[in-house]
Amino acid sequence: MAQRIPDADVLLALMGAPHTSDMLTSAVRLAQALLERGATVHLWTCGHATGIAKAALGATKPRNLENWAHGYPSTLALAERLLDAFPEQLTWYSCRFCTEERGSVPLADRIKLRPPFKFAEHVAAARTTLFLGVI
Amino acid sequence: MADYLLTESQGPWAGPGADRFAEDAVALRAAGHRVVLFLVENGVVAALPSGPSALHTLLERGGEVWVDGFSLAHRALTADQLLDGARLVEMAEVAERLLEPQVRGVWH
Repeated sequence: MAQRIPDADVLLALMGAPHTSDMLTSAVRLAQALLERGATVHLWTCGHATGIAKAALGATKPRNLENWAHGYPSTLALAERLLDAFPEQLTWYSCRFCTEERGSVPLADRIKLRPPFKFAEHVAAARTTLFLGVI
Repeated sequence: MADYLLTESQGPWAGPGADRFAEDAVALRAAGHRVVLFLVENGVVAALPSGPSALHTLLERGGEVWVDGFSLAHRALTADQLLDGARLVEMAEVAERLLEPQVRGVWH
């Protein structure tokens, strides 16, 4: 049975590698600001951005040698906090091809894998789509 | 007339794309559209007085230049260093603009 894609106010498509720029930070900041205003948001990760929410990251980043006692959340933990805070408004999708091709499997349970050729349906379901980065 | 929220995230040194994007903003404004050029990440440095001439032109012709305060602070820049007319904003204001039904958003 075909999956029905819920409507969204904004689709944020993260197409770039998260470690090469501030793109992920900007995307999360914008998503949070939209969600706090009651908007429905879909996040779609593609390319190396699929690694943001892979389960192997765990809850924290490796220790910082210059600040040994401080815990830094992983990108997975940040994603899960955002999903916890806005369970009815935020849906997180990940491109299945890119997820598998980049070795990002398994992802966190709440991330929905989608075939790349379904992306156009997600664009159609959103009132506004923003592409961030390039593959 | 349409409303555009154009986001530039790349610095002028990243290649000609950032300048061309600012020129697109000028062209849209010249065509009678309402244009906000939002500068974020490395894009904020374009709002220094030595930045692309297209930003000066956009402001002269009634467009708006928004600069992300978070990105500016991360680059040890301050609001008083920005070109006249550029406005410091937070992401909340950007989100509100993006949610207005008539607004078309583009991210570069």
